[in-house]
Amino acid sequence: MSLRTAQIISLLVTLIGVAVVWQGSNFRGLGNQQGYQPAQPINFSHKVHAGDNQIQCLYCHSSADKSNVAGIPAASTCMNCHTKILKDSPEIQKIVAALAQNKPVEWVKVNDLPDHVAFNHSRHVTAGVKCQLCHGPVETMDRVEQFDALSMGFCVACHRTHREVTLDENGRPTVTKEATPKRLMASTDCSVCHH
Amino acid sequence: MSNGQKLWQIFREQDGKPVDLSAKSPVAGVSRRTFLEVLGYSTAALTLSGCRAPQQKIIPYLKQPVEFTPGVSSWFASVCGGCSASCGVLVKVRDGRPIKLEGNPDHPLSSGGLCALAHGMVFGLYDPERLRQPLIGSRPATWEQIDQEITQKLAAIKQSGGKVRLLTGPTTGPTSLETIQKFLSQFSDAKHITYQPVSTDAIRQAHLRSHGTNAIPSYRFDKARLVISFSADFLGTWISPVQFTRGYAKARSLQNGEREMLRHVQFESRMSLTGSNADTRVKVSPAEETQALIYLAKLVATSNEANGAGGTSALPVAEQLATFEPARLNQKTRTAVERIAKDLMKPQGDGLIVSGSADADVQYLVNFINSAAGNYGNTVDLAASSASNHSSDQDIVELVRQMNAGEIAALIVSGVNPAYDYFDSQSFIHGTQKVPLKVSLNSTLDETSSLADYVCPQSHFLEAWDDVEPARGTFSVNQPTIAPLFQTRAFQESLLRWGGDGRTFYEVLRQSWREKLFPRQKQYTNFDEFWDQTLQKGVFTPESSAIDTPAFKSDGLEQTIARLISISGDTPDGLGLVLYQKVSLRDGQYANNPWLQELPDPITKITWDNYASVSPRYAATTGLEEGRVVRISKGPAWIEVPVHIQPGQHDDVVAIALGYGRTKAGKAGNNVGANAYAFVAFTEGTFRYQTAGIKLEKTSNRIEFAQSQTKDSMEDRPLVRELALADYTKGKGETEEEYGSLWSPHDYPEHKWGMAVDLSACVGCAACVVSCQAENNVPVVGKDEVRRRREMHWIRIDRYFEGDREDPKVFYQPVMCQQCDNASCESVCPVLATVHSSEGLNMQVYNRCVGTRYCENNCPYKVRRFNWFEYPHSDPIANLALNPDVTVRSRGVMEKCTFCVQRIEEVKIRARNEGRAINDNEIQPACQQSCPANAIIFGDLTDVKSRVAQLKKSGRNYTLLDELNERPPTSYLAKVRNSEEV
Repeated sequence: MSLRTAQIISLLVTLIGVAVVWQGSNFRGLGNQQGYQPAQPINFSHKVHAGDNQIQCLYCHSSADKSNVAGIPAASTCMNCHTKILKDSPEIQKIVAALAQNKPVEWVKVNDLPDHVAFNHSRHVTAGVKCQLCHGPVETMDRVEQFDALSMGFCVACHRTHREVTLDENGRPTVTKEATPKRLMASTDCSVCHH
Repeated sequence: MSNGQKLWQIFREQDGKPVDLSAKSPVAGVSRRTFLEVLGYSTAALTLSGCRAPQQKIIPYLKQPVEFTPGVSSWFASVCGGCSASCGVLVKVRDGRPIKLEGNPDHPLSSGGLCALAHGMVFGLYDPERLRQPLIGSRPATWEQIDQEITQKLAAIKQSGGKVRLLTGPTTGPTSLETIQKFLSQFSDAKHITYQPVSTDAIRQAHLRSHGTNAIPSYRFDKARLVISFSADFLGTWISPVQFTRGYAKARSLQNGEREMLRHVQFESRMSLTGSNADTRVKVSPAEETQALIYLAKLVATSNEANGAGGTSALPVAEQLATFEPARLNQKTRTAVERIAKDLMKPQGDGLIVSGSADADVQYLVNFINSAAGNYGNTVDLAASSASNHSSDQDIVELVRQMNAGEIAALIVSGVNPAYDYFDSQSFIHGTQKVPLKVSLNSTLDETSSLADYVCPQSHFLEAWDDVEPARGTFSVNQPTIAPLFQTRAFQESLLRWGGDGRTFYEVLRQSWREKLFPRQKQYTNFDEFWDQTLQKGVFTPESSAIDTPAFKSDGLEQTIARLISISGDTPDGLGLVLYQKVSLRDGQYANNPWLQELPDPITKITWDNYASVSPRYAATTGLEEGRVVRISKGPAWIEVPVHIQPGQHDDVVAIALGYGRTKAGKAGNNVGANAYAFVAFTEGTFRYQTAGIKLEKTSNRIEFAQSQTKDSMEDRPLVRELALADYTKGKGETEEEYGSLWSPHDYPEHKWGMAVDLSACVGCAACVVSCQAENNVPVVGKDEVRRRREMHWIRIDRYFEGDREDPKVFYQPVMCQQCDNASCESVCPVLATVHSSEGLNMQVYNRCVGTRYCENNCPYKVRRFNWFEYPHSDPIANLALNPDVTVRSRGVMEKCTFCVQRIEEVKIRARNEGRAINDNEIQPACQQSCPANAIIFGDLTDVKSRVAQLKKSGRNYTLLDELNERPPTSYLAKVRNSEEV
């Protein structure tokens, strides 16, 4: 193999690689999953539930204010309403079948942080951070996509500016930008998220 | 380089000619460099094209249990099944998986402490080498099949009236015992035999003689002011070490301004964990130890206090003992005995004499002294006697005889492994061949199970219901925290099936508690409420009427003393062998647990091995060196082990740990060390762990130990500081020099985490090391890597010997990352992977670390650990033990103690969500939580009222290597020995 052939082969391989990378719409850079919008086993629409019907996020994602994970609702939670509403829809039938066969629904994870990141939903929800701040206008999405990059820069930008959290007269914490006496603060220590 | 100029790199040693580096690559056209370029391009391109995150699934429940919140741990009160001491535990269950055991502070015996073994139990649950289904012969079977076959065979035995024997370890649970009795009652000749390879049967037998009760008393170290131990390793492995360590630490505590403490005198021949902590340690040979005990008995029996003011002999053996002369004892030992004899008698009742001897006669004499000194009813409690550790040595010996005589029709073994640990294992193995029906209920295919016709693996204690009564009147329920991972079932379930009882053991358990224990309380009128409360609390102590301690019976005491005098005098001089258990492996049942195998022995700091410890003087006179393999033999029994030179050991004694040399333990435990059980002897009704007249021969082999600490001395640096109690009470303390600093001080706006380690409390038991390992996903590296000093423990216990090598003082010092303010690691990291937090933590950021190891080299405390390899996390079952709150580190990354920052964050989040401040003691790192000695105290230094801030004001407070001006928030409280001078 002459030098020239080797160079041509390597160039070709590189070009093919680059083409493969760029043809997909869900590649934005190493590890960046912004815009990731996988198909789900059930055609669930957040627009219908959270948007049109105004169901609270916490109704389904019930551990978002108690745990580090928001939680995906159990199939039985869906059936709280769907034993009455649209019970013959083929999508609802999938849930009925799941319950009947004792086979849980395998949802595809959309917002996925690296394993070395410890994010806690409850602290943010309880501190008054709106779900949409990170997840985007979920109530308008038929199929959920990753709205923001959820990169470290994204987190730290907020932790730097929204440093001060105060409690209002009802004892509820509110995020303010003003310099108020130090009560609770969004830390920028590495170990807050990386441990 | 390419212009034809000749370049050279090194001179060849042979001819001194330079090496020509400009020569062309042998492959025409493509040089090495070009090849690598091409390779690099294509690899990069291929990698980039594969850069899409893998799809991950989230699988929610179909019907979510009400009490379950994903991502939040639940805690269940239960009991540790590691040994029959049955300490109370809280099991941390995260997303359905038990991942950590912690001590239950409400438990009256262990009161929140746990030992190293208990922390390792979680690994045992997820041990991929547990049996996954029942076996008939060696082929997998179903439970239906196996139940049918066994029931048939048992029915035939019932018809023929053959002998059925059930062999288990010590069993204390009332319902378990009831189930066993019910199962056995269907046969005309059936017996439940309890067996422990390392037994305390002599204490039970001695109390049968001295007090007429078949019991091992409960020893109350917390009430004692003077403890005299004759080679009882009560802080390490003896009976109920966690309970004893708790009591001992409490009676020695100086954390709340106490001015006096328990005094501890230890007579022993090998260096034990307990002996190393003693205020006075008297080195004696086993024969001298017996004489010292008789001499103590003499002084007590003839003392004025024992005989009343009139001097008339109230004690039966005073006259016999008065003539006894301890010929073997040197002056130092005599003085020590005389001094404690004086202290023991005044005031009466707060002394405590314990002995680790397996000779019932020795234990009888101990009972006599305890009784004469008025300790029964005070420090020796027969009313709340310990039901744990009950076993009968005589019974198993008789069983093996019957087996060999072909008298046994069915042998059912559960939870014991005599084919490995019975002293005459060959005879047991031979005997099994003559037993027509052999059933093993052990959970692994161990030495005994592999001899069985049927193996019916029992569930791990974290998967099954059980109840225990480790001390009389202290009941606990062991509740399952996970459904059985494999096709296993509790041994009680098996017995119920084979006994024709269709109920589950859970039903039997509830019924038994409803009938027997529910009526013994008045608080609850509804059984379900009582049951739920008991489960939640983890312990039930019924109201009981006080039981009088039976009087001491001296029948036969004279003969006992006469015999002891004669054998202690007659024992020939020469080399003797002492067998002992290590705090990590104990009797070897858990040898397949790599956490325990890699736990450095507190005294020798050796991992993954057992060895023959000899004294430095003996080694010098016989020309033995460390690691020299020797052959030790007595009669037909022999063993080849490396020699370890142990400061403080008696010259006439070789000490070898039991529990090693397993052949069918599993991947981690097979062929680690050598099996010393063959040296155990059965004499006069008990197993003996000491033997005289052994032969030691050198071989030509020598090995290198996998040792985590190779330097024994502090080299005159005040690393561990020590005070005598007399000086401490006079107000003498540590002084710290103030140094200036080039750095500007850190700002701590909210918290400043700090730690105090009380060296006076710490006994060196190493429970913290395994607790930390379980909490922080610390990998196991293996024997070879430990030899290269690459062990990964985040907390280590440094052990120092000071003074005379033949009789040294021993010091322990737990060292973890000190989280320095002026941290030398932080200033050398080129990528800011280790930085200071606003709460005083020295953070290690794994995702930034590139592995330069500058920080490790610059750390004066040597607490940083480097991941030299990708340590295996490939087994999906074993991975279930991982703590999801802690990142699993990968190759090339530095790691170290974080003060359990995941726990700090968890509590901070909880407190903030609830809009309140963090309480003192609410955050407990893994090392602190279950420390049996309460030696580690963690808290917020900005809160002046916090316990840690208060302790730092103590006169004992000092920082390690303070001359380096690292200014750590971690400090040590100097060790105080209860003696006049240090």
